[in-house]
Amino acid sequence: MLCEKCGKNNATTHIRTIVNGVVREINLCGYCAAEEGYTSIGHNSLAGMLASMLGDVVTPQIASEEVRCPVCGATFSDIAETGKVGCAECYKTFNRELLPYLKRVHGSTKHSGKIPNRAPLTVKEDSETVDSLKLELNRLVSEERYEEAAIIRDKIRKKEAENE
Amino acid sequence: MSCWYNISAPEDDIVVSTRIRLARNLSGIPFPSRMNSEQLEQLKSKVKMAVSESNTPFAKTLKYIDMNAVPEVEINAMVERHVISPEFAAKSEGRAIILSDDESISIMIGEEDHLRIQVILGGFQLEKAYDIAERLDTLLYDRLHFAFDDELGFLTECPTNLGTGLRASVMLHLPVCESSGEIAPLSENISKIGFTVRGMYGEGSRSAASLYQISNQITLGISEKNAVDNLKVITAQLIEKERGLRNNLERISVEDTVFRALGTVKSARKISGKEMMNLISRIKLGTSMGIINSDKNPFGILIENQPFMIMRRYGEMPPEERDIKRAQTLREEFKDSSL
Ligand SMILES: [Zn+2]
Ligand SMILES: [Zn+2]
Repeated sequence: MLCEKCGKNNATTHIRTIVNGVVREINLCGYCAAEEGYTSIGHNSLAGMLASMLGDVVTPQIASEEVRCPVCGATFSDIAETGKVGCAECYKTFNRELLPYLKRVHGSTKHSGKIPNRAPLTVKEDSETVDSLKLELNRLVSEERYEEAAIIRDKIRKKEAENE
Repeated sequence: MSCWYNISAPEDDIVVSTRIRLARNLSGIPFPSRMNSEQLEQLKSKVKMAVSESNTPFAKTLKYIDMNAVPEVEINAMVERHVISPEFAAKSEGRAIILSDDESISIMIGEEDHLRIQVILGGFQLEKAYDIAERLDTLLYDRLHFAFDDELGFLTECPTNLGTGLRASVMLHLPVCESSGEIAPLSENISKIGFTVRGMYGEGSRSAASLYQISNQITLGISEKNAVDNLKVITAQLIEKERGLRNNLERISVEDTVFRALGTVKSARKISGKEMMNLISRIKLGTSMGIINSDKNPFGILIENQPFMIMRRYGEMPPEERDIKRAQTLREEFKDSSL
């Protein structure tokens, strides 16, 4: 039987969903199942999920020219086997392969939490006002970053002296 | 210094502890399972330096502990008092932790992620615990520049932690929900909204001391605040449920089960770890319901009488001898508990 979505690959996954009492059954290939957020096995283990897809999707396409992460050297098969990503760069290298699984695990592929403050701490002199410096000072003090706060405090004193 | 499990805390009649864990990694060093020993050394020294250089009063309560210098018994005792995970204990060689004086803050270096920042507090204190973890995270970020992606958030070795890297959890004592068969339906409802319920100290889903851990399962697409707020609501509902069920109990039956447990700890000569779980759970129910008076926190005593915690005090010994020591300690701890 061919996949009912793409009509190209063999259907390997039978999916039965019940939404509001209506039963829907569909047969998909491994690739389309993953794209829809399903896997051919019924549990949440990432290694299992990835490994189960490996035979369907990854091997035929990638085996000939196994892509390796430039930083840690991991291949996608390594990640699928262990359920563990090799390094931060792997998320870029294997982004396309990983996204369907992230969708399946989290129901989302977009971070919506804390964004760390990556702005460099050296503030441009001329764009600084005493008020903005005071705000910055308060923030640094509340975060107990006293050394940085001391630098800002000195800047405020200097500015205030200049303004007088 | 008193540890979190020895001091009284908000809602601790039902909430034993609150825990926040953040998974963080440095960019440029492979994740722990692909890291070589050189990179592990590099990681440890970077983290050690980041903490000491931050030079804040907060950071001064933290000490760096080389796990190679920690004896086997103490490593296991750390697991028993939740300072480190069993997984970390199993591969602790060459690794290190950062630990606060009161052991409420710990950072495992080289667990499943480069850093596992953990804050554990007694009772129901989700916001406070998150606040501490967040401050520590920010303080370390300035120096370590954790791997972060605008789309995927904080990058972690296991994609199940991706995004916030946050695992917020509470440990609840739910003896009456359990005996009324409420745990399974409650777990099912809780799992539908992305949280899991896990029995602690037990086989399978059942818990030896009626202790259940509730934690968020999803970390990508949900903010820290959302995860913490949702857990707060779920916990408040469980507290209410357990208290309501307790109020409907037949007083004489509760007294019977509580007093039998108290009688046993006051007189038994040998108590196994498993038996202690059951006894402490019943005594805790008794102190929470005002049936018995005790100035001791029963769950603190439970932690202190785990096998390795006993051997940490008295030296290594076989299980039968520990059962004797355990009975001795419990007799002493509860000798002034009255009806
Ligand atoms: Zn298809
Ligand atoms: Zn990599």
